[in-house]
Amino acid sequence: MSDNYTGPLERIDACRWRIPKGYKAGMRVDGIIYADERLIHSIREDKSPEQVANVACLPGIVGQSLAMPDIHWGYGFCIGGVAATDPAAGGVISPGGVGYDINCGVRLIRTDLTRAEVQPRIEPIVNRMFDTVPCGVGRGGRVKFDRGELRRLMRDGSRFVVESGFGWDQDLEVTEAHGCLPDADPDCVSSRAIERGADQCGTLGSGNHFMEVQVVEEIVDPQSAAAFGLTIGQITLMIHSGSRGLGYQVCEDAIHELRNVPEKYGIELPDRQLVCAPVQSKEGQRYMGAMQAAANFAWANRQIMTHLAREVFSEIFRRPPELLGMRVVYDVAHNIAKLEEYEVAGEVKTLCIHRKGATRAFPAGHPEVPLAYRQVGQPVLVPGDMGRSSWVLVGQPAAMEQTFGSCCHGAGRLMSRGAAIRAAKGRSIEKELLAGGVVARARGRTGLAEEQPAAYKDVNQVAEAVDAAGISRKVARLRPIGVIKG
Amino acid sequence: MTPHYELFDHTADLGVRVRAAALAELVPPATEALYAAIGEVVTTDAARPWTLELRGDDPAVLLRDYLAELLHAFDCGQQRLTDVHVMEFTPQRIRVSGKMRAVDPAASDFAREIKAVTYHELAIRPIAGGYEATYIVDI
Repeated sequence: MSDNYTGPLERIDACRWRIPKGYKAGMRVDGIIYADERLIHSIREDKSPEQVANVACLPGIVGQSLAMPDIHWGYGFCIGGVAATDPAAGGVISPGGVGYDINCGVRLIRTDLTRAEVQPRIEPIVNRMFDTVPCGVGRGGRVKFDRGELRRLMRDGSRFVVESGFGWDQDLEVTEAHGCLPDADPDCVSSRAIERGADQCGTLGSGNHFMEVQVVEEIVDPQSAAAFGLTIGQITLMIHSGSRGLGYQVCEDAIHELRNVPEKYGIELPDRQLVCAPVQSKEGQRYMGAMQAAANFAWANRQIMTHLAREVFSEIFRRPPELLGMRVVYDVAHNIAKLEEYEVAGEVKTLCIHRKGATRAFPAGHPEVPLAYRQVGQPVLVPGDMGRSSWVLVGQPAAMEQTFGSCCHGAGRLMSRGAAIRAAKGRSIEKELLAGGVVARARGRTGLAEEQPAAYKDVNQVAEAVDAAGISRKVARLRPIGVIKG
Repeated sequence: MTPHYELFDHTADLGVRVRAAALAELVPPATEALYAAIGEVVTTDAARPWTLELRGDDPAVLLRDYLAELLHAFDCGQQRLTDVHVMEFTPQRIRVSGKMRAVDPAASDFAREIKAVTYHELAIRPIAGGYEATYIVDI
């Protein structure tokens, strides 16, 4: 059985490809993949376009089933997928459209430090981060919460941990949704989920999660970079993690509970991983309450790790983090479903936007963009791989018109984990990274091999594709100099 | 057919394919494959008896649910099932017993964290000489 996609991909323009809704039975809308000529070749090499077509079958889907240039094969939805459904028209919410790692996301922290100050100390910095930030399979956190505190954390998100001393009020201003989805309902979170995530708030996890020390190497949009506080040669810190075991279990529970729900509502699905419920049904509302609680957990998780990273830098540079200028630039979710307003055929509608490996990308003037950035737009954080680059982009008006305010979330995998391990045989990825100027530490035996730079698409191509499509604009390129992984 | 498993590539995730002569014989290698995906999971001698019975109408989903229980025991209790004995595995019911042993984290070598056993491409199908089960784990 071939893993390649052999269905239609009709070229619309330089950066968009259509899967017509006549491709397979049940498609209600077209599929659209954002990619340039270079990227589309690798996209055909797995079944992710088939998943774009499957998502087009969901009841109440509006516009098109979308995929960003970092698209790759997932389960149910592709990674890099965006789908909007209209709750008022029977539109559904699908846990598979959010993923197991609910509110997996990225946070960027700027500093006043320069490369010249940090490069000589990068090894002790990385080692100290590795010792301080719990990472790896099943690692519990340094910060413990009792059940009552966990309920507050799930309800209030980042604010709860900031009020507990793990961060600054201004961190909340530059976190998507201020780090709290207000309709979170801890009562919808199972005791199993709470048990699984109880000691994991403030932990990195494993897989593709990381904490990275970076240097700003290129600025493309000086106005936006200035608004974000970014300058050439400056040191930044990027954190990629999510809701850990609590979120995984919320998704597991939801998929289990929704198994027979599509049949109840007369919904036919091409893949059972796409199980769903009408947003307005009691089953849909229950998942929304639990999913939002897990999303708040994830924001609290990244907030605590921000605090730990500030402690490490403060200890090494013997200055408080405030004097090191360690301000959060932004924090974005890239595995989430949210109710947002969009104009559809001249009418403003509240839609349920699924972003599965896709980042919100609101333009200048949008009321949900922090005041400090409202003149330029929302920072869009696009991590690449640990050897090359990551990008800061800024949301553009075309995203509101074409992609329900969404953009790519990373480079996207090119090689499978197995292929990456085979490619790393006989090599030391750690030494190769060091030769390239990156100090890396990983907890897992295969972590660096599976996550080696060649396992990912070139994030520069992905950033160019969304820039050319007009849904986000390139602002600054960041190069890693130190990384810790689970 | 000797029961066996193989791990196969699935981009960011990992696939497991198990083959055996009978439905019940799929369960032990499917169990071993789950732990192999996590890495080298070493246990201590301390063990407690463990049994599980699940009912349903789809053997692939029953197998997935059983594996999800093992993942939960690993994640929350740092425990691994050994001495797997399948008392019954039909499309309507799975009954398994074994010994749940404490994982020794210091002696183990974890390769990756498994978030879930997914429903994506989940299947058990007849093949020449037996059955083949497929499941994908989310990494």
